[in-house]
Amino acid sequence: MQELIFALANGSMYALMALAIGIIYSTTRIINFAHGSVIMIGAMTSYWFISTVQMNYILAILSAIVINILLSILIYKTAVEKLGDLTNNSSWIVTLFGASIIIDNIARMIFGTEPKAFPFLFNGMDIRMFGANIMVHEILMIVIAISIGIAYQFVIQKTSFGRAVRAVSYKPDTARIMGIRSNVVVLTCFAISGGVAAIAGALIAPLTFASYTMTYAVGIKAFAAALIGGLGNTKGAFIGGIALGLLEGFVGLMIPGGLKDAVIFLIMIFVIIVLPGGILGAKIFNKGNIAAEKI
Amino acid sequence: MPRFSIKATSLQKKYSTYFIILWVALLLISLAIPLVAGSYYLRLVSLIFIYIILAIAYNISAGFTGITSFAFAAHFGVGAYVSAVAITAYNMPFFVGFVLGAIASAVVGLLVSLPASKVKHHYLALISIGLLEMAHRVFNEWTWFTGGSQGMFVSSWNVFGFSLGTLQKYYFILLIVVVCIIIQRNIVKSRWGRDLTAMTDNEIAAAGVGINYSKYRIRGYFFSSLLAGLAGAVYASYSGYLSPDTFSFQFTVFILLMVVLGGQGTLSGPIIGAIIATLVPELFNAAPDLKQIVYGALLVIIPQVLPAGIGGTIKKNFREIDDNQYITEKRDIKELDIKRNVGNVSTNSDNDDILIIKDLTKKFGGHTAVENFSMTVKRGTVHSLIGPNGAGKTTTLNMITGIEKPSAGMVIFKDTDVTGKGIVELVRQGISRTFQHVRLFNNLSVVENVAMGGRLFYSYSLTDTMFRTRKMKNEERKSFYEAMDYLNLIDLGHQANNEPESLSAGQQKLLELARALSMKPELLVLDEPCAGLSDTETMEFSKLLNKVREAGVTVLMIEHHMDLVMEISDYITVIDYGKKIAEGDPASVNSNPVVRNAYLGEGAEDYVTS
Repeated sequence: MQELIFALANGSMYALMALAIGIIYSTTRIINFAHGSVIMIGAMTSYWFISTVQMNYILAILSAIVINILLSILIYKTAVEKLGDLTNNSSWIVTLFGASIIIDNIARMIFGTEPKAFPFLFNGMDIRMFGANIMVHEILMIVIAISIGIAYQFVIQKTSFGRAVRAVSYKPDTARIMGIRSNVVVLTCFAISGGVAAIAGALIAPLTFASYTMTYAVGIKAFAAALIGGLGNTKGAFIGGIALGLLEGFVGLMIPGGLKDAVIFLIMIFVIIVLPGGILGAKIFNKGNIAAEKI
Repeated sequence: MPRFSIKATSLQKKYSTYFIILWVALLLISLAIPLVAGSYYLRLVSLIFIYIILAIAYNISAGFTGITSFAFAAHFGVGAYVSAVAITAYNMPFFVGFVLGAIASAVVGLLVSLPASKVKHHYLALISIGLLEMAHRVFNEWTWFTGGSQGMFVSSWNVFGFSLGTLQKYYFILLIVVVCIIIQRNIVKSRWGRDLTAMTDNEIAAAGVGINYSKYRIRGYFFSSLLAGLAGAVYASYSGYLSPDTFSFQFTVFILLMVVLGGQGTLSGPIIGAIIATLVPELFNAAPDLKQIVYGALLVIIPQVLPAGIGGTIKKNFREIDDNQYITEKRDIKELDIKRNVGNVSTNSDNDDILIIKDLTKKFGGHTAVENFSMTVKRGTVHSLIGPNGAGKTTTLNMITGIEKPSAGMVIFKDTDVTGKGIVELVRQGISRTFQHVRLFNNLSVVENVAMGGRLFYSYSLTDTMFRTRKMKNEERKSFYEAMDYLNLIDLGHQANNEPESLSAGQQKLLELARALSMKPELLVLDEPCAGLSDTETMEFSKLLNKVREAGVTVLMIEHHMDLVMEISDYITVIDYGKKIAEGDPASVNSNPVVRNAYLGEGAEDYVTS
C-alpha cells in the first residue's frame, strides 16, 4: 500500500511536469527541452528560500513559482522568439537545449553539487490509512496535482484565454489576423508552464533530494510521461504520469539500482514505437479526428 | 558528347582553385604536424581528428537526414566500449575491434531511428535523450563489461606483434579522417545527397518524386551512428583508458556544438566546428564551469545569429564555388522531344482506360469530402476535373495519387488495384503530380529540382558513388542534360543554377511541372497548374500541355481557368459537394444547366449570353 501511494504520488508529479510540457506544446508545437532545468530551478530555489531565508513552506513555493515564471519568460525571449516560424525550423531543439545547459551550470555554481535533503510538508507527518503509514505529503501531492489539472482544463475549455490558446494552437497566423496576440498567448503559456513546473519540482524534491542533477534525474521522466500519455492534452499528461509512476514502482521492486531507469527508458522507447501518439493517440481513443493537411 | 565537368565561368574557376589550394595546404599541414609539434600538441591534433569523424557522423544525421539527436555521446561510447572489450578481453586485432564497435553503435542507432518512420523529429530528440541516459547508466552499472565507474584500460594497437608508436597512430587516424571526408563529400554530391536534401526540404514533394523518406531516415541514421561508433572505437584505443564520465551529457553538448558552430548540412562544417570547439575550451581550462556555460550560450546564440553556421555562411558568400557547375556550357540545343522520353513506357495492356475510380469516398471525421465518386480517364486524353471551391477536387486527386487513403472505394490504375497504395509506390508505376501550393526543393538549384524527377532512372549504386565510377558520371551527365532540356522547354534554361525561390510564382509552377514531366509519367496529375500564372504564361502552358498530350501522356488536372479548360480538355468531370454532377466533352458540359447552377447560382442562365 505504501509503495502504491508512493508510486501514485510520484506519478502525479510526473503528470504535472508532463502537463507543463503540454501547455507549451499546445500553442507552439515545440517541446521545451529546457523543461528539466526549469523543474530543477523550482526545487532548488524553494529549498533555498526555506533553508537560507527561513521562509514558510508555502511562501517559499510561491516565491519559487514567481522566479520560475520569470525564468520561463526569459527562456522564451532569448531562445525561442527570434527563431520565427517554428514548424519548419527545428533549431529550437538546439537553442532550448543550450539554455538548459546554461541554467544547470549556473545552478551548480550557486547551489553547489551536494544533494540537499528537502523537508516534507507538515514535517513528514504520517497518518494511518488502509492499514499502512502514509505521509500527508504524498497525499497532498496527488491532491494538488489533480486540482491543478482540473483548473487548467477549466481555463482551457471555458475562458477566453483558453479559446485563444486553442486558436493559436490550431493556426497561429490566422489567430493573429483575428486579433489574438499570438506571442502574448505563447508567452503566457511559457509562464504558466514555468509556474506548474515549480510546484512539481518543489513537491517531488523531498522524495528525490534537491540537487542540480534533478534536470536529468527527474526532467527526463517528465518527457517520458508526456510521450507515453500523448503530447499536448491534459488527460494524456495524467495518464502518462500515473502510468510512469506505477511502472517505476513496479520495475523498482524487481530491478535494483541505476539499471531501473534504463529499463524504464527502454519501455518508453517501445511505447513510442508502438503508439507514436502516446496512449491517448491510440486508435480506440480517436475516431478519425485527424485534420487533413492542405496540399 | 561534351565532357561532363562542364566549363565553369571564370569566377567559379578562380574560387575553386583557391579552395583546392586550401584543401591541399590543410592536408600538407596535417602531414607535417608530427615533425614540429610536441607530444601534447600531437595528442591534441589526433583528438581533433577523432572529433572530426564524430562531427561528420552527427552532421549526416542532423544536417542531411534531419534528425536532431542527443545520443551521439552514447553511440561514441558504445563504439568505444565494444571495441575496447573486443581488443582487451578477447585479444582481437584492433581493426576487428573497430568494426565491431561501429556495428554495435549502428545497432543501437537503429533503436533510435526505427520510430523515425512514424513520428516527428522532436520525438526522436526525446528518445535520444532517453537513450543517452540509458547508455550512461549501463556504462556505470554493467561492471564486468565496462569496468564501471572505475573505468577500464585498453591495450594499445598491435598489428601482428608490432605495437604502433605515436607517429604511426597519428598517420593512421589521419588516413581514416581523410577517407571519411572523401566518403562524405562523394555521397553528398550524388543522387543520395540530393535525395537527402530534398527530403529535409519538403517531405511531401520528396515522396512525390518517389523518395521513401522514412527508409532514408533510418538508413541515414544507421550510417551516421556507424561512423560515430567508429570514432568511438578509434578514441578507445588511442586514449588507452575509458571512463563512463567521458560519454556524459557534456560530451553530447560538445558534439552538438561542433556541428552547429561549423554549419549543419555543409561539407566543411564538421571540420571547422571540430577544430574551433576543441581549441576554444583550452582557454577555459582554469574554469570548467564557465566552459559549459559558454558552450550553452553558443548553442543558444548561433542558431539565431548564424543559422547556417560558419561553414554555411562562407558557402553563402562564395556561392559560385559551390560545385553546381553542371551546365553553363553551350551545346546544340534542340527542341526536346517528349515523345522520345516517354516512348520507353511499356503499354502492355490494350485497355483504353488508364485510370478507373469506383465509388471513392473520403470522410474527415463527420464531414464527407468526397462521396461515391466514380470516373474513368482514357489513355492519351486531357481530362479536367472542375467544380466550385471546396467541392472535393484536391481530396480526390490526393486519393488517386496515394497521399490520402480513401475511406471506401477503389482506384484502378493500368488494370491494377492501387487503392491505398502510397505515393512512392504509385510514382514507380507511372503517376506523377504537381501540387496546388508549389512544393519545390529550395535548397537545390533549379536544374537539380528537375533532375530530382529523373531520380527513378538512376541505377548507380553507393559503391559507384564512393569511387565516382564511369557509370555514375555517365548517368549523372545524362540526367542533367535531360533536366536542362526540360528547363529549356519551359524557358528557364538561363536560370538553371539559381535558387528556386528567386523565380516568380508562375515560373515556380512551371518548374514543378517540368519536374513532374521529367519523371516520364504515363499519367500526369496537375492540381491547378495555372494558378498564379500570367496570361502569357498560361498560353505557354496550354501549348506545352498540347505537346504533352501528343507525346501520349494522359493528363488529369484541376483547373479554374475555364477558357483553358474548355479549349484543351477532351473530357470534363464536374464535381460539387463531393459528388459528380456532370461529365462529358467540353461542349456538353458547358451547356449543362446543372453545371451552370453549381457555378453561377440558380437562374444564372438568363444572364449568360454565350
